[in-house]
Amino acid sequence: MPGRPRPGPAFFFLLPALALILVFYVVPLILSVYIGFTPLRDWNLQRLGELSLDNYRRLYHLVLHDPDLRKVVQTTIVFTSVTLAVNVLGGLVLALAMFFMDEWLSLPYRLLWLLPRMTPVAVYSLLWYYFFLPGREGILNSWLMSLGLIDEPRAWGKDPELLPYSAWAILVLVNGFVGVSFGMIVFYSALKSIPREQVIAARIDGASTLQLARHVLIPQIRWHIVYVTVWQLLSLLTTFAHIFLLVEWGTLDRAWGSNWALYVFNTAFLTQDQGFAAAAATVLVAVGVVLGLLALRLMRFREMMVEPKGEL
Amino acid sequence: MVEVRLEGVSKRFGRVVAVDNVSIVFEDGRFTVLLGPSGSGKSTILYLVAGVYKPSSGRIFFGDRDVTNLPPKERNVGLVFQNYALYPHMTVYENIAFPLRLRGEDEAAIDRKVHEVARLLHIEELLDRRPGQLSGGQQQRVALARALVKEPDVLLLDEPLSNLDALLRLTIRGELKKLQQKLGITAIHVTHDQAEAMSMADKIVVIDRGRVQQEGPPLEVYERPRNLFVATFIGSPPANTLPATVEHRDGYPLIRVAGSLYRPGERHAAKIREAGLDRVVVAFRPEHARLAEHPPEGEDLAFEAEVYLVEPLGRENIVTLEAAGMPVKVVTPPEERPSGRLYVVVPRERVLLFEPETGLSLDHL
Repeated sequence: MPGRPRPGPAFFFLLPALALILVFYVVPLILSVYIGFTPLRDWNLQRLGELSLDNYRRLYHLVLHDPDLRKVVQTTIVFTSVTLAVNVLGGLVLALAMFFMDEWLSLPYRLLWLLPRMTPVAVYSLLWYYFFLPGREGILNSWLMSLGLIDEPRAWGKDPELLPYSAWAILVLVNGFVGVSFGMIVFYSALKSIPREQVIAARIDGASTLQLARHVLIPQIRWHIVYVTVWQLLSLLTTFAHIFLLVEWGTLDRAWGSNWALYVFNTAFLTQDQGFAAAAATVLVAVGVVLGLLALRLMRFREMMVEPKGEL
Repeated sequence: MVEVRLEGVSKRFGRVVAVDNVSIVFEDGRFTVLLGPSGSGKSTILYLVAGVYKPSSGRIFFGDRDVTNLPPKERNVGLVFQNYALYPHMTVYENIAFPLRLRGEDEAAIDRKVHEVARLLHIEELLDRRPGQLSGGQQQRVALARALVKEPDVLLLDEPLSNLDALLRLTIRGELKKLQQKLGITAIHVTHDQAEAMSMADKIVVIDRGRVQQEGPPLEVYERPRNLFVATFIGSPPANTLPATVEHRDGYPLIRVAGSLYRPGERHAAKIREAGLDRVVVAFRPEHARLAEHPPEGEDLAFEAEVYLVEPLGRENIVTLEAAGMPVKVVTPPEERPSGRLYVVVPRERVLLFEPETGLSLDHL
């Protein structure tokens, strides 16, 4: 008998995953949206009953008038968009480069680019901490001084003369080295699945490497590019682990070096203003949802999903 | 149109010698088939002609032009693949136009040429579709159109029919040959299908283990195989081979095969004496033998065998017999239903003799 399978067994197998999602995702989401409407401070749970829009009013006011939060907003926009471009385009360039490499060369090359991702966040951040250390013993400073390019060591992430661009550059650099390998791996495996004969055919028809990439290879991995872009966009909006460490260790200026996600974290757990932080987090989630949908729309995701109308 | 010439071409991949000192002339405007089992190096030869691979040694000429070190795009060849290799994101029109666009031709000329070649291959109504919406045969026509649209000097076909079902393969086989004759283009076709090779080729080049085993017109290759490999690779069912020993009677060599004695002709006898052979391999094609109740008069090859299996194919029967522990296949008319012990009789002029060590035909020694 054809028909829908009974929901019983399906539900049974879905249960563990559903339970996990419910406990660790849906419930916290609802809680945090709820807390955003309460004046919760210092975990004083007795005030959880007082609902108001005060946090959002305050947030709106601060975004307009607090110079520090305005810096955070600018940093978030610049950091997210520039790092996104670096990660997607950089990943694409790396994947194409490896596609045209011999296997004996591309394997170690791939491993090299994966190293930052395999390194624990704290260790990886520590490397950059030493690299940008403000004193003479900082790696970058000592290089530049021995080359005679600067006379005095500089505090790269904090020097008012260099801000905000130096802080932004460090943020993009630190996250880009980790992020670029994701696109690289996805794009490379997608390229590898394109039949080799297509490449040979294009070569015989006279395609240069650039033409081959533009007309034959990249159009066929469009789906993967959309996926990586949206995925990276959302994870860049919410990332803050590296940034937190570099700000705490003094490599980066606190305002110009923080993104919105880190601001939320610090407000909740440093300034202990949980209601306000929850409101800020809710705004971030909303922005993420809107941007994600917008990206799918812009990249004509729906068009790619259309079933081919063929005859067999 | 151009003659393609390989002179002492070898291709090594690391330690593997894929093509070993091969010299072939692909005649201008003719249909040449490279025939061999998988891994024989026949596709490698095709890719060497295309310029996808560079030979490790030797030279390749298109007419008088030495193309050995030229990249593929400067050779003006069209290549058709077994899996068609169409670009899935482009329409049929765009696929066919792609080689012309890469050359920077103007859109009006491209449009004219695409429609021209589409008409030639009867795919005009498919131009707006994508490859994913086409059947295998349609995809193959599109691939052929893409190869022909740039008016190549040489058309290279890498097992283009292997992915098609049997009936379609027969149809396209005929169409392809007619098309090639109409265009008068130099064609090199790679296949492992000996029937395809026999039916399409002006010349067959049999390749095995990276070497040319034999080249010539299909019938010559079929009837006078140069060695045991060619004899057993071409033909369906392939030629029967029986090991035999040589006995000398009054100075004349006689061949003992499957228990019977066979007196070879003067020419073969001379060769046997000349080479001092004490063993040979006797071979004959299944359709050249007949079955008889009694040993025949005269000097044809005849030996006793027991019927093992009869396969009726409608047009003919394939009879498998056992002779001195070895299988022998004979093609008989469909009305014959042989059984029991019989004589397999092969006319003298159809008996092939080979040298067992090298596998070379005595005619070619």
